[in-house]
Amino acid sequence: MTAHDQIQSTITDNDVVLFMKGTKTMPQCGFSSRVAGVLNYMGVDFADVNVLADDALRQGIKDFSEWPTIPQLYVKGEFIGGCDIVTEMTLSGELDKLLEDSGVGFDKEAADKIREANG
Amino acid sequence: MGMVQKIEEKLREAFDPTELSVVDDSESHRGHAGYQDGGESHFQVVIEAPAFKDMSRIERHRAVHRALGPDVISRIHALGLTIR
Repeated sequence: MTAHDQIQSTITDNDVVLFMKGTKTMPQCGFSSRVAGVLNYMGVDFADVNVLADDALRQGIKDFSEWPTIPQLYVKGEFIGGCDIVTEMTLSGELDKLLEDSGVGFDKEAADKIREANG
Repeated sequence: MGMVQKIEEKLREAFDPTELSVVDDSESHRGHAGYQDGGESHFQVVIEAPAFKDMSRIERHRAVHRALGPDVISRIHALGLTIR
């Protein structure tokens, strides 16, 4: 399977996917760690893909989205953004709305707590 | 020309920003992945320009990536963007 097909099938089979450096339990980069941390804290059930484990995937995900950096978050097959965008959307409440509209469960109180702590 | 000046120049040229700040914060990432001797690996950019007004978040980031070009993008490890 090509990297492109592998990525396409991963984001089709999972509602929420984070392509990251490291894993959700052991991130290897501060930016990946921040996004994984937000999703973990909000109780979002997501698939993590460690791009450091596969060179073809590491380049493939950048080509797939035409986006030069990692992490990359996908919800329902759609590219949402990287660390800056996910952080902004978390603080503005847009991420809550996106997850609600996509039928993805999360802990609203935890999301509010993140906003209170960073308000 | 240093990387900070290069980034500033490209962004000024592309967007005629009303606010622009480019900071090399590589030192705060010393010892982390992507750190390279001499810095110029991690940057924080704040940019405000009328050109971004009608763009989505992703479009704004893509526009900045395009303006910087593959040469700059491939030479730096991390680029924090705040775009208004």
